[in-house]
Amino acid sequence: MDSSIIPISNLQLAFTVLLVLIAGGISSFLRLGLLGALVWGTVRTFVQLTLVGYALVYIFRSNNFWLVVAVITLMCYVAAKTAVKRTPNVPDYPTVLAFLSLLASTYLAGSIVTVLIISPDPWYSARIVVPIFGMILGNTMNGIALSLDRLYSEVRSRAAEIEARLTFGATPWEAVRSTVREAVRAGMTPTINSLMVVGLVSLPGMMTGQILGGADPRDAVRYQIVVMLMITAAVATGCLILVGLSYQKLFNRDGALQSFVLQSRK
Amino acid sequence: MLFNFNNLRYSLGMERKREVAVSGSVAGGEVLVVRGPSGAGKSTLLRILARLQPCIGGEAFLKGRSWREIPGTEWRSEVHYVAQKPVLFDGTVADNLALPFESRMLRGKKTFDLERAKVYLEKLLLSQPGFLRQDARTLSGGEAARLVFARALLVGPSVLLLDEPAAPLDGKSREAFYGVLSGWLNASGRAAVLVSHDGDYKYLGRFSFLDITA
Ligand SMILES: Nc1ncnc2c1ncn2[C@@H]1O[C@H](COP(=O)(O)OP(=O)(O)OP(=O)(O)O)[C@@H](O)[C@H]1O
Ligand SMILES: [Mg+2]
Repeated sequence: MDSSIIPISNLQLAFTVLLVLIAGGISSFLRLGLLGALVWGTVRTFVQLTLVGYALVYIFRSNNFWLVVAVITLMCYVAAKTAVKRTPNVPDYPTVLAFLSLLASTYLAGSIVTVLIISPDPWYSARIVVPIFGMILGNTMNGIALSLDRLYSEVRSRAAEIEARLTFGATPWEAVRSTVREAVRAGMTPTINSLMVVGLVSLPGMMTGQILGGADPRDAVRYQIVVMLMITAAVATGCLILVGLSYQKLFNRDGALQSFVLQSRK
Repeated sequence: MLFNFNNLRYSLGMERKREVAVSGSVAGGEVLVVRGPSGAGKSTLLRILARLQPCIGGEAFLKGRSWREIPGTEWRSEVHYVAQKPVLFDGTVADNLALPFESRMLRGKKTFDLERAKVYLEKLLLSQPGFLRQDARTLSGGEAARLVFARALLVGPSVLLLDEPAAPLDGKSREAFYGVLSGWLNASGRAAVLVSHDGDYKYLGRFSFLDITA
């Protein structure tokens, strides 16, 4: 097996225009109104990834512990902002709570993987840590967004039942416990489902990348197993922490439901 | 006085806000009948008394203790609100009757007493065979109203806040309902605040009126 990656030249990269034209052609033929988004998305993909490429080269070369921590923390922050934006049922959610839950869950799962399982030298080796944490974050971000949105929409639709429980002398936690369970489940389900079908329906991006990069598929598979399980652990903790931090915001000081929950969605 | 509230102020409506200020009291064994046209703010008053929503000002007292001194969770198990629309949970009629006993305030202090539940159901004309095993989501409007009332009695509060509890009931079941309520009030340390549109209070023993004008 050839163990070196086949480089893509600038000219070859330019041929991706063909791919954009196909998607653009379909979009304008059917008047999907997606052309603007497609062009803008293409430009962003080129610019963002090119910049990230240069940044990664710099980070990998310096391989400084604090720089690695700073980069991961920044990634958590951006992921938190994105997660909060993706929750149509949740008005004015503080980014800091999403940030805390991402930080805790990502560092927990990421540290287990880098310190115990992959153990590079040094253990904070940027070439390993940054992509590993990045993969965890991407998935956990989606998970917590789903959980948070489900928590709010479910509490809204079950407001009458929750209030009835309160009239029985239930604490806010007792009144929303089953709803919280639903919300955590909603966040974890896509990840659990992907555990079921991985390799059968699609080859995961990371594994594909390693194989294209010339790695032995058997090694790539081992990495992929670690990655899948670490994502599952991180999504579970992230959802649990976030929902745990959030449910109290639905209640006032008297332990009754906030009025916005009882009104229509704005 | 078992239960009283002084100068409770709350506002209603959107653009043209209307402020309501009310005071009232009930002694043990008594019913305070809240009257007023539709939209006057009767349900809102009951929700405020149950501390399910905040008010602008004023204070309520249970056995002389201000609601400022009592945590919301404890208050609500003593001043128990039954909503205008009956709320039933997934499961059977029996499940619904037992559900309150999962909550912190009742756990330990009170346990679900199936025999007492059966007595209430029978008095409320709900003793048809298999009723306890019926899916609660399939009940008729009048059955649901009587079921949530029986559940409220099992919760065992000091004060019942009932929001038009007899509205979906016909003559016979309405009489049965008021019979059970009067019987419940006979024990000491119990009172009710009742929202009612119709002249039902003739079934009650001791009662007074609180009129809210729109
Ligand atoms: N959150 C709210 N925001 C704005 N207006 C409200 C709100 N809640 C209630 N209202 C208004 O306040 C008024 C009183 O409502 P409430 O449900 O207390 O009336 P009610 O006296 O119980 O009437 P009914 O006899 O029809 O049940 C109504 O006009 C209602 O539209
Ligand atoms: Mg009403």
